[in-house]
Amino acid sequence: MLRRIIAHIRKELLLLVRDRAGLALLYVMPIVLVSIMAVVQDAPFRDFADKQVKVLFRDLDGGVVGEKVRAGMDIAGSFTITDAGTLNEAEIKEEVRKGHHQVAVIVPAGASKVLLDRSAHAMDGLFGQITGDSVAPIEPDSAFVRMIVDPTVKHAFRELSRGALIRILAGLSSEQLLVDMHARMEAITGDTLEPLKLMAPFIGVDQRLAAGETSGVLIASDSTQHNVPAWTIFAMFFTVVMLAGNMVKERNSGCMARLLTMPGGVAERILGRAVAYLFICVTQLGVLLAMGHWVLPVWGLPALVLGPAKDLALLLLAAVFISGAATSFGVLVGSFARTQQQSAILGSSVVVIMSAIGGIWVPLYIMPQGMQMIGRFSPLNWSMEAFNVILLRQGDLGELVLYLLPLAGFSVLCLAITVVAERIASSN
Amino acid sequence: MSVPVIRVKGLVKHYRNADAPAVNGMDLEVMPGEFLGLLGPNGAGKTTIISIITGVRQPTSGTVSIQGIPITRDAHEVHRIIGYVPQDIALYEALTARENLTFFGELLGLSGQRLRRRADELLERTGLLARAGERVKDWSGGMKRRLNLIVALLHEPAILFLDEPTVGIDVQSRAAIWELLHEINATGTTVVYTSHHLEEAERLCSRVVIIDNGRAVGEVSDPQAHKGHLEETFLRMTGRGLRD
Repeated sequence: MLRRIIAHIRKELLLLVRDRAGLALLYVMPIVLVSIMAVVQDAPFRDFADKQVKVLFRDLDGGVVGEKVRAGMDIAGSFTITDAGTLNEAEIKEEVRKGHHQVAVIVPAGASKVLLDRSAHAMDGLFGQITGDSVAPIEPDSAFVRMIVDPTVKHAFRELSRGALIRILAGLSSEQLLVDMHARMEAITGDTLEPLKLMAPFIGVDQRLAAGETSGVLIASDSTQHNVPAWTIFAMFFTVVMLAGNMVKERNSGCMARLLTMPGGVAERILGRAVAYLFICVTQLGVLLAMGHWVLPVWGLPALVLGPAKDLALLLLAAVFISGAATSFGVLVGSFARTQQQSAILGSSVVVIMSAIGGIWVPLYIMPQGMQMIGRFSPLNWSMEAFNVILLRQGDLGELVLYLLPLAGFSVLCLAITVVAERIASSN
Repeated sequence: MSVPVIRVKGLVKHYRNADAPAVNGMDLEVMPGEFLGLLGPNGAGKTTIISIITGVRQPTSGTVSIQGIPITRDAHEVHRIIGYVPQDIALYEALTARENLTFFGELLGLSGQRLRRRADELLERTGLLARAGERVKDWSGGMKRRLNLIVALLHEPAILFLDEPTVGIDVQSRAAIWELLHEINATGTTVVYTSHHLEEAERLCSRVVIIDNGRAVGEVSDPQAHKGHLEETFLRMTGRGLRD
């Protein structure tokens, strides 16, 4: 029996090796996909940490507000700022509309005066209660920094710009209030007080990753950490096209009829195929992990962070289950398809759909709630989560099993349907 | 008194969605060492009968036993003693002839030197040895037919089934196949084959069973003794109406 299984494995591998177009599909396509998608998604994955948003800046104020807003946006690090020179608001709007800049920020004339007036008015109100001085009943006008946004710009970019401006302006107002308060205190006491020291925020934000360190590096999801495992899974499942195609060819050529008259049963044939395709999937994993680790950094992308030997062993284990699911699905498609065209179209379409809803193209968490629910039933999502447990969450075998079990269940279901369908076909 | 090596009783096969059964109460007994031809017009049920006897398809009803072993009970054991040459070129075209023989030979329980020697012997016998390292897809139809045949002979089966083994090949290849079939039959192998070629059946077979509408409608023993009369008998039994 073992000899027959080995014969099937060798035959499958020979068929795969002899098919150059198929090999390109199995190895070159995922390399190209990982490269393109990692580059394309690099910017969005950086969470706008780099200077991503192109801002056209116009300072009509010429005072402290214009100066501080410009400086604050520079320090924020998320913006590439271009001075609008003497462009008027209409011209600035047109520049943004044409997409030359994603956001324009116009600091209105007199903004600094408004800042000073509003702060002084607030101080009058506060200190008037001590000195008994009367306070002007009418509150000075507010000023508004205008933000003009390219209609094609994503909501996240808009919110990033707006949030930065609100933060800068709030800081500016607080700072002015403190300066004014200091001056009033000096006026009341007649003393020269120590200059007010503007300190760091009393309560700040300390961001940490829930995952531990891997090889001394804190890893978070970035373009590489997402795309390398994602497209590796896609490539592993795409073996369905080859496997199902070879099955159809085998059946239509009469080889299957010959096999049915030889010793050995369906289990040996499936096992032979599964082991051959496991070999393909593991080599795909090796090639793509190596690419993520060594090649992508050469192109300026983050390197794939691989864990210790324990993690690599878990990756191999996950690959076995993913490969098993892909092979079983391939066997199912191969047993239902009547022609190679049918198997290619059916296999590739279903894999593309399952990958799209399963969080391969973009992470599941940024999809709408309904899609997230559907996506959780995709074997490619279980595969992705299994890889995330190992590569990002530094989880253990116990956590990994939660995703490996559904993959095993999916494999069993596919094989059971295949066996029943083939029995029905044989008896018909 | 010898016992039949193949026994078919009341065989019926009704395909789903088909109006009439493809095999309709077929009875057949084949004695050891016979060279039996199953002749019949298109759609007579020849391929279905062979498919059921060899275990490729399940019958709707009826029984088949090979050397006393019911095919439905122990197909694995039956498959060790039979060889089957399908009507199609049942080979992996991306593999070389030797790789095909190695693969099928290993499934048939051969290995190592024994397998290599047997493959070489058959390749030599059919004039294919010099090109055994070439991929089958680059071969002519006749070469493929010869290889298609010798795959089924690797394990020296006691019973050989052939479904239209000489369809669409050149005269030389057909002659080589006839010669080889004669040889293996002479060594005691029982041969059962289907064909349209009456002349071929006359030359090769020790007995011919004529099939129509899924059952045996007649039989000719020792067709070589009635040379030239098989066609007349065939038309008398199956009619002159054209078949789809």
